[in-house]
Amino acid sequence: MDKKHFTLISSSRPWWKIDLKEFLDYRDLFLVLTYKDIRVRYAQTFLGLAWVVVQPIVTLFIFTLIFGKAINVDTGGVPYPIFALAGMSAWNYFAFVMAQSGGSIIGAQDMVKKIYFPRLVLPLSKAIVGLVDFVVALVLLGVVMLYYQQPFSSNVGFVFVFFLFNFFCSLAMGVWLSALTIRFRDFQHVVPFMVQIGLYASPIAYPSSMVPEKWQLYYYLNPMAGIVEGMRWSLIGGVELSHYSYISFGITVLLFITGVLYFHRTERIIADIV
Amino acid sequence: MNRAIEVEAISKKYELGRQKSGSLGETLRHTFKRDKIKDDTEFWALKDISFQVNEGEAVGIIGRNGAGKSTLLKILSRITYPTSGNIKLFGRVSSLLEVGTGFHPELSGRENIYLNGTILGMRRSEVKAKFEEIVEFSGVSKFIDTPIKHYSSGMKVRLAFAVAAHLEPEILIIDEVLAVGDFDFQKKCLGKMQQVAGEGRTVLFVSHNMEAVQKLTSSCVYLVEGRLNCMSDTKSVIGRYLQRSESGLNSTYYNRVGSSDIYMKEIKVARGFAGVEHSWGNELTVEFDIVINRETKGACLSFQIVNAENVNVGYYWLYASDYDFGAREGEIKIKCVIPEAKLFEGKYWITTWLSDRSGLRLIENLDRICSFDFHINNIVHDEYPWAPSDATYLDKANWVFEGSSPITIKMPRLRQ
Repeated sequence: MDKKHFTLISSSRPWWKIDLKEFLDYRDLFLVLTYKDIRVRYAQTFLGLAWVVVQPIVTLFIFTLIFGKAINVDTGGVPYPIFALAGMSAWNYFAFVMAQSGGSIIGAQDMVKKIYFPRLVLPLSKAIVGLVDFVVALVLLGVVMLYYQQPFSSNVGFVFVFFLFNFFCSLAMGVWLSALTIRFRDFQHVVPFMVQIGLYASPIAYPSSMVPEKWQLYYYLNPMAGIVEGMRWSLIGGVELSHYSYISFGITVLLFITGVLYFHRTERIIADIV
Repeated sequence: MNRAIEVEAISKKYELGRQKSGSLGETLRHTFKRDKIKDDTEFWALKDISFQVNEGEAVGIIGRNGAGKSTLLKILSRITYPTSGNIKLFGRVSSLLEVGTGFHPELSGRENIYLNGTILGMRRSEVKAKFEEIVEFSGVSKFIDTPIKHYSSGMKVRLAFAVAAHLEPEILIIDEVLAVGDFDFQKKCLGKMQQVAGEGRTVLFVSHNMEAVQKLTSSCVYLVEGRLNCMSDTKSVIGRYLQRSESGLNSTYYNRVGSSDIYMKEIKVARGFAGVEHSWGNELTVEFDIVINRETKGACLSFQIVNAENVNVGYYWLYASDYDFGAREGEIKIKCVIPEAKLFEGKYWITTWLSDRSGLRLIENLDRICSFDFHINNIVHDEYPWAPSDATYLDKANWVFEGSSPITIKMPRLRQ
């Protein structure tokens, strides 16, 4: 007979010890849950995937009117819609994943109370679901660039790198919020607020160079500041990244590690307090 | 023989009130006043439980409501963690605390089989291999590609159970709430579980349905107030359980730590003498104090009056179609007034059921709570002494002498 599966349920588990092997054992659940989320998201909506396109177009329209025409921000010669869309691609992914992951545990509480699985599967699957939005945003950007005859930047290979930062930053926020929401329901109300503030506190509708030099350091404490700038730079080029962006990347890594650890600690008491 | 499960000194403490998720402000207040609320809010749901189960054994976990059965079950299934102690499980474990976990109404039967199967710990390849079998067992093959929101509740239960029945773990942990659905299907399920036990798998079965425990298990763990009372062969443990639960009358049930969406905070059999001594033909009331933590549309409440032979002699219900009492959060008091209770002499209990018709969930089942006695001393019946086997209930009847001047005699005659 092959080696027996062994499970130890113990009152004492080091808070830093994360069972990666077990996580891999549950990869099929992860895949099926992701599939479910994507299916359910578009089931019964008449326009289906079109909603993913409509929402950014409306935002883009408003941005173009206010920042492009009225305020006339300096985009470095790039047509404003392209400038804004490039930033929005990173931001919309972030906003979606943060909200969805953040509510993923509360949303699945019936399941969480009835069966065991590594809870991290829930926020992580939402980060994959958000990929649909990201890809759609890129396609939309491509169409607009084609219209304006604007070529992609030569840095386009870096999209992947900045998307990884984008992914981990969004997931980190989602993981933090999902664990915090279990303990304090107040955080449910924090998410929409953060999305709203963050949209203007990140260089989406305007370039970060508009922020006065003495505030730059604090500005880049927002991890999405560096990520949005990075994503835009790799898509359409422009001025080199500010050296302050490293602050954003550092914060992303920090948020992710602490988030997973905090989640891991809270995981054990989820069923008791949900 | 090989060990399958080793439970070593498991204890579980709940801190009432504090651990529940609340608002941030509440937590801050508590942090500053910590010492004040410490003592009376501690509650040990389990204290120092140790036992072992060998491979291939089928073991029941029994005990009265609040004895810690479900806490132990949740710890064994890793939904919650012990405050102290260890459990070692040797082999692949599946735990079934409900069927159909994760079912999504918008998805088809096919998709839900994959979803539920992987949630229960199966690989996708395993589900695929057993797919035809599962569909056949469920009997819903015609609708397998229809979203399950169009299924009847019976079909959903069948599909859910079909998935669960095809799990092939080495250790299976099952909760009694699986006893949903129609009777024939229940029997099919019990049969399937017996088959599992027969195949040399280890089964842990939590229940207060003594008949099912007797059928399925060879030995039992008996919990009393969070402690292990004994572990022995099923027959002697059940004897002990019945003996213990039949001494003394207590017409009130009280539970301050309900965790489900809806739970019974208090149930009281009232009227009669102090609620425990009742006379034939008089009003009997059962008062429910129900806490609704989360609004549950479609909540159904029913209870049975059970006699000493464990026969259900009366059934009373208030379903959502009659009055949707669970539709709003809060605490509600409902009283069921039985104007003339016509039970025969003897000792009775009630068994209550709270379920969610639309979600197909059994929310809470309290078995044989609120004991009370019925007397028929108020009936004139001097010629023969009553025997326990005479009846389970006594009704009113009119005896009519036919003829030119008919006479009607109303029975029974009551003592003045």
